[in-house]
Amino acid sequence: MEDRRMSEIIVENLRYRYPHAKKLALDGLNFSIEKGEFIGIIGENGAGKSTLSQAIMGLVPQFYKGAYGGKVIVDGIEAGKTPVSQLCGHVGLVFQNPFNQLSGAKDNVYEEVAFGMQNLGLPAEEMKERVENALKLLDIWQYRDRNPFDLSGGQMQRVAIASVLVMRPDVMILDEPTSQLDPEGSDEVFRAVEALTNSGITILMIEQKIEKLAAYCDRILLLHGGKQIAFDTPQKVFSMPDLADYGIQAPAFTRICKAEHVTLPDGTYPVTVEEAAGVLKERHAGRAETEGAAKADEKKDSEVLGEEQFLIKNLDFSYLPDVPVLKALNMRLDKRPTAIIGQNGAGKTTLVKLLKGLLKPVSGNIYFRGEDISGKTVAMLAGNVGYVFQNPDDQIFKYNVMDEIMFGPINIGMDPKRAEEEAKRALELTGLTGKEKENPYDLELHERKMTAIASVLAMDTDVLILDEPTIAQDWKGRQIIGGIIRSLSERGKLVIAILHDMDFVAENFERVIIMAHGQVLADGTARDVFMQDEALKKARLQKPYMMQLSEVLGYERAYLTVDEILRDQMS
Amino acid sequence: MKSISLFVDNGTYLTKVHPFTKLMYIAAAISIPLITGKLWMFGVFIAVSLCVLASGKILKKTIPLIAFSFTILLTIFLIHGLFNQRNVNVLFQIGGLKFYREGTLYALHIGLNILNMLLSFAVFVLSTKPSELVDELEKRGFSPRFGYIVTSVFQIIPQMMGTMNTIMDAQRSRGLETEGNLRTRAKAFLPLISPVVMSSLINTRERAIALEVRGFSAGKKKTWLADRKRHKGDREITVLLGLCILAAIAWRIVVCLR
Repeated sequence: MEDRRMSEIIVENLRYRYPHAKKLALDGLNFSIEKGEFIGIIGENGAGKSTLSQAIMGLVPQFYKGAYGGKVIVDGIEAGKTPVSQLCGHVGLVFQNPFNQLSGAKDNVYEEVAFGMQNLGLPAEEMKERVENALKLLDIWQYRDRNPFDLSGGQMQRVAIASVLVMRPDVMILDEPTSQLDPEGSDEVFRAVEALTNSGITILMIEQKIEKLAAYCDRILLLHGGKQIAFDTPQKVFSMPDLADYGIQAPAFTRICKAEHVTLPDGTYPVTVEEAAGVLKERHAGRAETEGAAKADEKKDSEVLGEEQFLIKNLDFSYLPDVPVLKALNMRLDKRPTAIIGQNGAGKTTLVKLLKGLLKPVSGNIYFRGEDISGKTVAMLAGNVGYVFQNPDDQIFKYNVMDEIMFGPINIGMDPKRAEEEAKRALELTGLTGKEKENPYDLELHERKMTAIASVLAMDTDVLILDEPTIAQDWKGRQIIGGIIRSLSERGKLVIAILHDMDFVAENFERVIIMAHGQVLADGTARDVFMQDEALKKARLQKPYMMQLSEVLGYERAYLTVDEILRDQMS
Repeated sequence: MKSISLFVDNGTYLTKVHPFTKLMYIAAAISIPLITGKLWMFGVFIAVSLCVLASGKILKKTIPLIAFSFTILLTIFLIHGLFNQRNVNVLFQIGGLKFYREGTLYALHIGLNILNMLLSFAVFVLSTKPSELVDELEKRGFSPRFGYIVTSVFQIIPQMMGTMNTIMDAQRSRGLETEGNLRTRAKAFLPLISPVVMSSLINTRERAIALEVRGFSAGKKKTWLADRKRHKGDREITVLLGLCILAAIAWRIVVCLR
């Protein structure tokens, strides 16, 4: 074991229980982290990841109270007993929701980022230098004069990171910092964070993006039910045979290698594309491609066109007269589940709001089943088109889950008996059965999101629009959402979703549309679209992990998912 | 985001004048005419305010303010001109309506006073960024907590209005009619207001933690990004205005003693 006296963070038998809770949120954690290490914290929702991050920041127990035992020592300071305002010079915490991290007292990004340093009493010259460095590092220097509240989620997230970064903490904890970012944007954050570790800052990052963690982290801490299950290298942790029991899906590359029984020299499975390609190349040397199977599959992908649902003709839209958001957009949407992808601020949300009638076109027309929707109110369209907003807290207002879910169906005039049936079906689909009587506000964010989805599902609309449904969802949650999409599609309903998770897109959607700067860059099956390197680059997107691996391995066929590659290897 | 502050950021010299100088101007513009009790003093300060506003290129912005107060001013003239209890001498007559000298003079007094206050405040409000004022106050030992409350109001309220719109959209998407007769609107009240209240409560708690994490209660002496440079004449004008007030008081005392 390493010499513990030298460690940056020492956690000794940490136990914690929230007030009014029966179960321990953290149960006997023991580990130490060295200076400059990059640690990934994984686990399903409710595993204790965020609680641990708050314990290192001293917020647990100082802010949340509750029963606390054991010790957390950061930089030689005991976190549980040192006021947070003193500790914040040593430890920085970036929240999951950047919106709440903004001070709300500064009207431009530059001053917002400097806010923390002002409180610590740093000299002006020093502040200016640090702000400039941080803004440039995170590529938001161009937004320095903008109001932070006017930025998109991804930009705001980078402001939040910068505002903690400038305080030069020795330890930085990031709680799902990339959940709102497009793929390129999240890569930038990972690269920026990695650069920080080189300057001696210790990083702890909670993240659902397993493949990214595997590529960047030195060690992975796996939590489950408040207990520490493993703390080791990514290779060792992701090679654990019982990983799925803890609600974690191993990186795509690891799953392939597991199925193929190829390991690294030390007996663990590869976790990154390079490692996987290295071992797989040796294995497949000289092996011919199985073209036949691929062809058969291809046909199934492209030729199922359903009847037309939406027809968009020459659509123009702008919020401000001189700033067009959508330009001469033409699109035909049929019944295939459709994913709309693109960088932050590409006009995706604007487009779906227009489909829902929440916004009216500046010029051009939108037809829903041949009928122009411009003359209809949102409430009139409610029975046909369902829309789940990103933030569930924007709609929840009832005191129990069942009432919340029943609100929509009753509103659109469904009779109570059928509404109840639909509500039950929605509960089952979202995995909320058994929580009917709970107050939505007592639920965790991921469950509140499911409640919001269920409340729209129950309206049994012909079209369902989902805006970033996978944010805050763990592997299990993502599987549930995948199930919802399949189930609706089987019942002949159109699902449109805005997403940043390319692998989720590849696994669950038949049609993919890439948008950038208010225009469609590519449109087709997932396979076709992800082959268009130019469009992907323009829209700051990345290929699904399996496709990256197929390319590195030099396969002729681009595989989209792990299942696909395995099916082919078998035949 | 739509700002609720009236500040016009047009980069003129007036925006660069120290907020305290402008505050001193308000103090002088309001107190001197009242202390001296001379009607022409109002005229002087109204003229000065108008000149300052014009030179700061914000005169146009004051028109709605004046227009708004105009209805009130008109009512005062009508009531006092016609019905003031001290009315004796008829000043002029429109049809059957007799306007009296005493009442009209009284109304003029009140009217000029209101106009004077409005314009001098306009000089301050239209040319001063709220956060800048709070910064300056904090630099003079004002509590940062109180300062935070003031500045955050200017950010949180517009942002809450934005949230309100999103909530409205979310509920309309679920088939809630938000427009129509009183009953429909009353029915829509709860679904619209509860999420605002609940999410603000949730946000407030998180924001409190966020402030803590950013050293808000570190208890160290706060520093600022830029040391605000005094505008040319800031000190002189403040002193001059102070002297004017003192002079007015002295004059008044002398008059009273005589």
